[in-house]
Amino acid sequence: MTHQEAYLYFAGVDIGSTMTKVVLMDKAGNLLSFIKGPTGAEHRQLANEVMRQALEQARLQIDDISYIVATGYGRLNVPFADRQITELSCHARGVSSLFPDARTAIDIGGQDAKCMKIQDGRLVSFVMNDKCAAGSGRFLEVTAATLAIKLEDMGDISLKATEKIQISNLCTIFAQQEVVALLSRGEKLENILAGLHDALASRVATLARRLGIERDLVLTGGVAKNIGMVKAMKESLGCEVLVPEEPLLTGALGAAILAKETYMKAVRAGEALPTKSRRLEKATFFSQE
Amino acid sequence: MSDKNKGLDKAREIYLDSSRRAKELKAADKKIIGYPCVYVPVEMLTALDLVPYRTCADMKEPVTEADRALPHSFCPVMRNCLDCALKGKNDFLDGMVAIHSCDPQEKTARIWESYTHYPYFHFIDMPITVRPEALEYFKGQLNDFRKTLEAFTGKKLSADKLEAAIKSHNQQRALVRELYELTKPSPPHVSGTEIVQVVKALTSLPVAEGNNLLTDTIGEVKRRAAGPEKKSARLLIWSSTLNDTNIMQVLEAKANVVMNESCGGVRAYRGEVKLTADRLEGLADYYLNEITCARTFRQATLGETRKDYARDLQSRFGYLKGAIKDWKINGVVMLLVRYCDPFAFEMPSLKDYLNSIGVPSTYIEYDYTTGALAPMRTRVEAFIETISQ
Repeated sequence: MTHQEAYLYFAGVDIGSTMTKVVLMDKAGNLLSFIKGPTGAEHRQLANEVMRQALEQARLQIDDISYIVATGYGRLNVPFADRQITELSCHARGVSSLFPDARTAIDIGGQDAKCMKIQDGRLVSFVMNDKCAAGSGRFLEVTAATLAIKLEDMGDISLKATEKIQISNLCTIFAQQEVVALLSRGEKLENILAGLHDALASRVATLARRLGIERDLVLTGGVAKNIGMVKAMKESLGCEVLVPEEPLLTGALGAAILAKETYMKAVRAGEALPTKSRRLEKATFFSQE
Repeated sequence: MSDKNKGLDKAREIYLDSSRRAKELKAADKKIIGYPCVYVPVEMLTALDLVPYRTCADMKEPVTEADRALPHSFCPVMRNCLDCALKGKNDFLDGMVAIHSCDPQEKTARIWESYTHYPYFHFIDMPITVRPEALEYFKGQLNDFRKTLEAFTGKKLSADKLEAAIKSHNQQRALVRELYELTKPSPPHVSGTEIVQVVKALTSLPVAEGNNLLTDTIGEVKRRAAGPEKKSARLLIWSSTLNDTNIMQVLEAKANVVMNESCGGVRAYRGEVKLTADRLEGLADYYLNEITCARTFRQATLGETRKDYARDLQSRFGYLKGAIKDWKINGVVMLLVRYCDPFAFEMPSLKDYLNSIGVPSTYIEYDYTTGALAPMRTRVEAFIETISQ
C-alpha cells in the first residue's frame, strides 16, 4: 500500500424522504463519522449541510474524499456525488457488512417498505410496497400525531398492552378514523398501539413472504428504532429479527462501502474514474443527474 | 442535417400535438374516427377513406370529469382517456369505434357513447378466447361493423378497397418491424423513447402518411452518426399501454429499452393480416389470434393446461422467447398499470415462464400519474443494478 492509498476516504450520502444520512469511511473501512439530519421540505438543498457536519466530525475537507455515492430518493440531486446507486443496493450492501450471514433485509423508512434478498453481500432481488403510506413509517408518524403522543414513545407504550386490538383497515387515513373510534369506545391506548404495530408488521411481513424469507433477517430504517415494531415483526415473521445499532444508517453505510469498492476496482484496473466537482453547494431543484 | 418535417423530428412533433394533423384533415373534409385500443381493425376505416385516430390518455392530465361517471378504483388509463374526451379534447372526431378488448373499455364505451355526441359510434363485441367458435363470432361482429360503416359513409366496403387498405397497413407493420431491427445492435440505433414517439404518431396519422414517416425515420436512423448511448442493461418492457415518453425516459435512464412489448410499441405490428378470400376472415384472424395482449385467453390445447404447465406457458408467452434471444435482452420489466386485471393476473405465469428460460424479471405497478415516476425510477434502477453488477 502506498502512503497515498492509506489516506483514502469515501462517503455515502443517503437522502431519504424523512432523514438525510452521511457516512464517511477510510480505506480500511473504519467509520470516521455518521450524521443524521431531517430531510425536511428543502431536502435536496440540505445535503451539503449534512455533509459539512460529517466532514467536520471527521476533521476532513471535502477535497479529501476520493469518491462519493449518493442514494435514496434524493440521490439525483446531490451535486457533489460521483455516482448514484439505489437505496436497495446500498441497504443490502450495508446490512451484509454488519451481518455477514444476513440473507434478508427489511427496511421500513418514512415512505417505503423494502424487502431485499442478499447473496454474497449483494442485492439479488427485492420487493417494495406500492405508492401508499400503509406499509411505511409514515403510518406510525400520522398515528402519533393523531394521538398527540411522541413517535419515539409509541413502541414503549405498546409493550404495556394486555391485549392487541385488531385494526381492520390498513389505509393510513381509515386507520386513523378507526383509532379515534376505538379511543371513544374506551379501549386502552397501549392495546390500540399494539394492534397498530401488529397491523403494520403483518403488512410488511406479507410483502417479505412474496420475496421468500431466508435467515438471518435484519430490520433497518427508522421504524427499527421502535421496540414495539421489532416485537411485532418477530411475531409476524415467526423468526428472529436482528437490528443494527444504528438502523437508519445502513443505506449511507452501504453507499460509502460501494464508493470505496467502485474506487478501488478502478484503481486496480488502472482506470480513470470520473468524479464531480468537490464544491459543497446547494442542489438546484429539478436537476437531473 | 435533419429536416424538421421528416423522420424523428416530425414524429416528436406529432407525438407532442397528436391531433393537429387530424384536425387539418378534418378541415379538408376528411372524416376522423377515434378508437381507444389497437384491437379495432383500422383497415376497415382506411378502406372507406376514413382517418383512424387513436384517442390516448394523457398522464399529466389530472382526472376530474371522468369521476362524474366512473369509480376511482378503475383502470386509470381508460379513466384518463374518457376524461380527455369529456373535457372536449376529442370533439373534432366524426365518430368513435370502441371494442370489448377488456371490461374497462366496454364500460367506458357506454359512458363515452352517452356523454359525447359524435355523428357515428360503434361498439365491437370481441371474444376473449382464440377458439374457432370465437373466430366465427368475431367475424360476424366485423360484418356488423362493416354495415354501420357503410351506412355512415354511404359507400360500399368493397373487397378491392379492403385489400388495398390491408396491404398498406401490412406495409406499416413491416416498416415498424424494420425499425425494431435497428434496436438489435448494442448500443441500439434508436431509443425506446424515440419509438414511442413514432408509434404514437402512426396511430394519429392516415396510414400512407405514417408509412412515409416510417420510411424517412428508418433512413434517418440508419444514416445518423450519434444514436442512443450504451447503457448497462438491455430491457424488454411488457405492459398494457406504454406510449408516454415520461415513463420511457425513466426506464431508459440507466438501460436501453430495446423492445416495448405493449400497444405503444411492437404489439400491434408483429404479425400480418392474411389476404383471405373473405377479407373479414383474415382481419378477424389477425386481431383475435396475432395480437398478444393479456386480454386474450390462450389455451395450449383443450384440457392440456393442467397436465403440462410448461407447455401452457410456452403457448401463452412463447412469442417473447425469440425476441429475448435475438435482441439479447438481459432483463424484463413487467410494468403493470394499477387495476389492470388482465395484466396483473398474467404476471405470475409470465414470471414463471421467464424464470424457465433464465431471464431476470421484475414487476413494477404504477397508477398512471406523474407522481409514480420517482418510485418507478428507484425500482427499475435497483433491478438494473441486480442484473448488471
